[in-house]
Amino acid sequence: MSTIDFTRELPVIEGRPSLREIDDIIAKPLESKPDIKYYIALSITLTMLLIGAVALGFSFYYGTGLWGNNNPVGWGFPIVNFVFWVGIGHAGTLISAILFLLRQRWRNGIARFAEGMTIFAVITAGIFPLIHVGRPWLPLYLIPHPNQHSIWVNFTSPLLWDVFAVSTYFTVSFIFWYVGLIPDLATLRDRTKNRIKKIIYSVTSLGWRHSNRHWQHYEMVYLILAGFATPLVLSVHTIVSFDFAVSIMPGWHTTIFPPYFVAGAVFSGFAMVQNVLIFIRKIFNYEHIITIDTLERMNKIILLTGSLVGYAYAMEFFIAWYSGVQAEQFAFLNRAFGPYAWAYWIMVTCNVVFPQLFWLRRIRRYIPVMFVIAVFVNVGMWFERFVITVTSLSRDYLPASWAYYSPTLTDGAILLGSFGLFFTCLLLFTKTLPVVSIAEVKAVVEGSQPSHGDH
Amino acid sequence: MKNVSTDKKEFWRSLKEYYDNPETFRNKINEFQDGVTDDFNPDELNKFSRRKFLALMTASAALTATACTNYRDKGEIIPFTNRAEGHLPGTPDYYASHINGKSVLVKVREGRPINIEGNPDHPVLSGRLDAQTPADLLNLYDPERLKNPSINTSSADWSVIDSEVLGILNKCADDNKEIALITHSVNSPTQFKLLEDFSKKYNSLKIYSYELVQNNRLKAWKNCYGNLDIPSISWDKAKIILALEADFLARDDNAIGNAILFAQNRDVMNSTEFNRLYAVEGGLSLTGMNADYRLPIRPDAQFHFVTALLNHFVIERKISFAKIPAAVENIISNYSLADFSNEFNVELKIIKNLANDLLTHQGSSIIYAGETLPVEVHTLVFLLNEVLANTKLYNFKSGFKYYNTATDFTDFKTLSEKLRKGEVGAVINFDANPVYHLPSAVDFADAFSKFANSISIVESENETSAISKYVLAANHELESWGDHQTRADLYELQQPVIAPLFDTRQKENILLTWLNGVYDEKAYHKYLMANFSEIIYKKQNTPVDVKTYWYNCLHDGFVELKNSYTSDGSFNLDNVSLSLPKIDKSNFVVHLQKSYFVGDGKFTNNGWLQEIPHPVTKITWDNYASISPLTADSLGVKNDDLIEIKTGEGNLTIAAFVQPGLPENTIVIELGYGRSVIGDVGKGTGFNANKLISIEPSNYIINKNVSVSKIGGRYKLVSTQEHHSLDDTFVKDFHKLRKIIREGSLEEYKNNPNFLHEDELHLVGITREHQYEGLKWGMAIDLNKCISCASCVTACNIENNVPVVGKDQVSRGREMQWMRIDRYYSGTPNAPEISNQPMLCQHCDNAPCENVCPVNATNHSADGLNQMAYNRCVGTRYCANNCPYKVRRFNFYDFREHLADAYYQNNLSNLIHNPEVTVRSRGVMEKCTFCIQRIMDARSEAIKENRELKGTDVVTACQSVCPTNAIVFGDINDKNSKVSKYREHKLGYHVLEELYVKPNVTYLAKLRNTHSEES
Repeated sequence: MSTIDFTRELPVIEGRPSLREIDDIIAKPLESKPDIKYYIALSITLTMLLIGAVALGFSFYYGTGLWGNNNPVGWGFPIVNFVFWVGIGHAGTLISAILFLLRQRWRNGIARFAEGMTIFAVITAGIFPLIHVGRPWLPLYLIPHPNQHSIWVNFTSPLLWDVFAVSTYFTVSFIFWYVGLIPDLATLRDRTKNRIKKIIYSVTSLGWRHSNRHWQHYEMVYLILAGFATPLVLSVHTIVSFDFAVSIMPGWHTTIFPPYFVAGAVFSGFAMVQNVLIFIRKIFNYEHIITIDTLERMNKIILLTGSLVGYAYAMEFFIAWYSGVQAEQFAFLNRAFGPYAWAYWIMVTCNVVFPQLFWLRRIRRYIPVMFVIAVFVNVGMWFERFVITVTSLSRDYLPASWAYYSPTLTDGAILLGSFGLFFTCLLLFTKTLPVVSIAEVKAVVEGSQPSHGDH
Repeated sequence: MKNVSTDKKEFWRSLKEYYDNPETFRNKINEFQDGVTDDFNPDELNKFSRRKFLALMTASAALTATACTNYRDKGEIIPFTNRAEGHLPGTPDYYASHINGKSVLVKVREGRPINIEGNPDHPVLSGRLDAQTPADLLNLYDPERLKNPSINTSSADWSVIDSEVLGILNKCADDNKEIALITHSVNSPTQFKLLEDFSKKYNSLKIYSYELVQNNRLKAWKNCYGNLDIPSISWDKAKIILALEADFLARDDNAIGNAILFAQNRDVMNSTEFNRLYAVEGGLSLTGMNADYRLPIRPDAQFHFVTALLNHFVIERKISFAKIPAAVENIISNYSLADFSNEFNVELKIIKNLANDLLTHQGSSIIYAGETLPVEVHTLVFLLNEVLANTKLYNFKSGFKYYNTATDFTDFKTLSEKLRKGEVGAVINFDANPVYHLPSAVDFADAFSKFANSISIVESENETSAISKYVLAANHELESWGDHQTRADLYELQQPVIAPLFDTRQKENILLTWLNGVYDEKAYHKYLMANFSEIIYKKQNTPVDVKTYWYNCLHDGFVELKNSYTSDGSFNLDNVSLSLPKIDKSNFVVHLQKSYFVGDGKFTNNGWLQEIPHPVTKITWDNYASISPLTADSLGVKNDDLIEIKTGEGNLTIAAFVQPGLPENTIVIELGYGRSVIGDVGKGTGFNANKLISIEPSNYIINKNVSVSKIGGRYKLVSTQEHHSLDDTFVKDFHKLRKIIREGSLEEYKNNPNFLHEDELHLVGITREHQYEGLKWGMAIDLNKCISCASCVTACNIENNVPVVGKDQVSRGREMQWMRIDRYYSGTPNAPEISNQPMLCQHCDNAPCENVCPVNATNHSADGLNQMAYNRCVGTRYCANNCPYKVRRFNFYDFREHLADAYYQNNLSNLIHNPEVTVRSRGVMEKCTFCIQRIMDARSEAIKENRELKGTDVVTACQSVCPTNAIVFGDINDKNSKVSKYREHKLGYHVLEELYVKPNVTYLAKLRNTHSEES
């Protein structure tokens, strides 16, 4: 790699695999029986999921009192988890939609998987607003529907905007993902000998025949959907940030929140995608499809968004000082030096300090270190939401009502369960659908496109 | 067709049938065709018809179906057809009665008392109450009350017990063996007469009386003046008040009466002349919090302080309106204010100011010593008041009335010995708890437990009844007749408002049964009426007949006695011997004090009272040892550490609490906790400090003979407020920086009435704001008058069905009280300045809670109320997060079900609920409603009377009990209303004004009446 010809694009897929080889390698996990390691992994994630489900069952039976929430701190772990998972879900659409529009061909190898993670992360996130309420059996009240009391929902409440934002995001992401899957499903249909699979693939591939006409329509739809999804990437976390920014609590009431939240979401999303892909490329032998170059590019985005987040942290302090509002100033001093200082410094170290190591090319390309840094990023981003949600509430305007929040075992179990749900979905995904887009990868293999270079 | 005209169709199967062929006809009669019956005989068949069979099948199926359903007996519903005269179902009735020593109105709905409010016509209390009295209601509905009498813990019939006890008593009378009757102090003339009659019948009866904290003031008065006619104090005329270890605003027997009069000189709406309160005390009390100057000194140094003051006035200033014996003058001449200031490290300037104030206000100041101080201090205080002619403030006409004095501990000790020796025939525990209360040196518990003929008349099982042979279940006060005379010019009646809920009897009636030999349900009622006629009716010279007069008095709840009374005692120190004790300041002193809310342990099982935060520390559910920060450092003790206190009487392991404002080496512990035989609510609450009470008068309740050490281990004390270290600059004085508390001095206000609003921000709204036409509700709280007694908290709890959550939930910060009193410290840990602020929903015009609720469960009414629709609430808690005042309360559990295995969720305790207010379940947000049910009630009254609703028609629950009238409620759109005037007042401010949420609770800034040179 010492001499790089910058006039040529680097190959996205290494080793010029033939189209048939691509079909084979991507379809392989779907055509072979799962091995013992898969079952071990699945049993671990299912156990986590079960622990969460039991904790949730208890919470439904006894009440939210089983959690650590108290009088000043009305929102605890569930909201922290919600924002965290919505954030994780950001990378997928960003990779598949925005990078698609920006013609970033390296995205093709990771887009499918990232989109899948988006779907599962949003499913996981979507559970929390429903379960965190005191009376989870009344979700209908959050949906505008005609009723005999003539009570409408309150459109001024950011929580209601959340309901719409997250459900729209989920719907569009899902459709985008599914449309992308159609050519692959057709390929699988053509390959499989199993009758049941054949029926399923036939139905879900919607009669795709790889015809030129299909491809033309497909490309157009995909482009339009990418256009649809792009603003959503920005809007979802903007609206999630409104949950905080629209309130009047010091530490919440901040205009920097929308861009800061979006940057943070992309940051954590990329970290999570990077983490999981490192396993996927190894286990399924996709090293030439999801190349080190691709990982490096992701690490660059982590570095960028991490720096944005760091800038936001600094700017929050500056604005708090600049505002001259005592309560505002204290809210931020209290974050850094109050009873939750430990959480704040975990957040700063993980989110601002460690990603700076990605300035070094060697670290960007060295898998063990990049993996650890991305894990830290996710820890840090979880703590960021914790710091924002909890520290601001625990010490707000009236010192007389300040109180410390400590989570309970139930809180921890539900958090564990959310990871259980997410990873269970991911594991099932790897064995049921192609985790890398066959059609899109074929499109970026060297020699697959007409070129003017090698005659 | 044949017979077309008839309605009935006839069917035919063949032409033969149609033409009435006889054979067909014959065949028709036979059910079976020929040949069919060849194989069987139809007559032998069962005669059971198909119809009957089906009917029976149906019936049995229906029966089986009903029998198998999970049918629960839902109880009987009895129509209120025979209603009491004058009663309308659905409307409350009020009955004047007397509960917990206070004249009250009991609110009764459909026969069940649901609230205890003050009696507005009462000349002393004028409808005001303390925090304890209304909560007594919970004792009535306590599921663990005694439900029937028992012998040796197995339930028994009253008639059996009566005959057995009569046998014992008669045998005692025959053998001339002592019958010991143990009771608390008696203030009921009829009960006193009953005891006298009882002792007339049983000559060997000896009455022992005690209170957990004995009234040394009374003893000293008797020594000095030779009688028990101790006067009340005209606090309203006092310009300078010096409270020596005296919590006269809260823990005094007459605290409400005191507070009412005290606050009259703190009314900035009427006058800018305030009284000035000096508090000289060890433990930081409620009165100390409200003082303009507070000097922390050891409780055993009070004698020195009073001596020094006397020296200043008598020797230095040569003032005396009283004759002072030479012996006394001798002592006081040896000790000066300067000596005191040096010895106890008290600022001399403040003491000098105090002395000057007392001097310039001779005859209009008062020095008042707390009842726990030794008799000698009280004697000197009486002398000091005589010297300064402050006796003008003694109100003998409305003086206190005592029927008996406390029995000496030595007599109790003799009783224990006699019990051991078998010289006593029977012990009647008359609604007391000596086993728990009496000092360990009396050694009563052990002697009593081995004693056979022990009789306890109690409402609930206690330490004494648990080791009594006969346990007689007594009525609650709300089920009993009675009379009371706490003041010389006031006679109060108590009437039952509900029939006894269980197989219990009124305690006086139990004695009366033994006196008469037969039980009569109405015996004590008649006895009371007869005595009333004797001691009240005949002396009042009224033209009406006795029955009418009785009913009138019963209706009013009290009689103002015509015969005025003045003291005939004269001050006399000849019998008094005094000597200046020596104090070693490095020694620890323990001061045992009354509890603010649980009484002497009577209310330990009362969840409402356990959960009211302590006025100073905000700790709930426990007592603790308060120590000063410096002493804590030297002992190496932090909050919640266990310490061991050793006195000559015994050892006590107790959790420590570091309390600013305490003098060094002083430990203050409240009594009434740590009961061993108690219901589920009171179990494991606090520590029993009674064992430190000494029977030596010199060490009685202020024990100087103490050693303290830290032992390992911790005990979690829970409070409703975080404890921020006072010298932590990180959070210091936030309440002032954020303009939550705004204060000034009286001088400042007089010089510039607008001083508070000099730096006012001009706030601009950018939205079109709603215009309120017609009525708009608002509240004002005068922080000059509020003494933070927490009466409002109890009143609100009862009115609004606020649940008890328990210690565990308070520790998680989930207390549910809608009304709370925030306490802020400023100044130094040694001399903290304290600001209190009742905090409740501010009903903001721009309420931040409203716009964030996704389901519109909280919204604004046209008359300015911030409302909660419980049914609509899904419990996102967003509103609570966005409330800058943090007054919203969330039901994290169904707290009624959660507390101690659904302790308060049973058929009995459910009766306590106010039917006008929804009982909230889990997952729902709630908060102060400005007593919307009372507003609606007033509105329907107004509609009924065809008039406009006025702001003054509504009195909120907190407002109605407030002893100092600090809370004002009404229509803020009516510019002439009281609340509007408060709102417009120069001292009025809103908390967190600059948020522009436009709150509708106005606070009047507190003015401290300090000396001008200091302001």
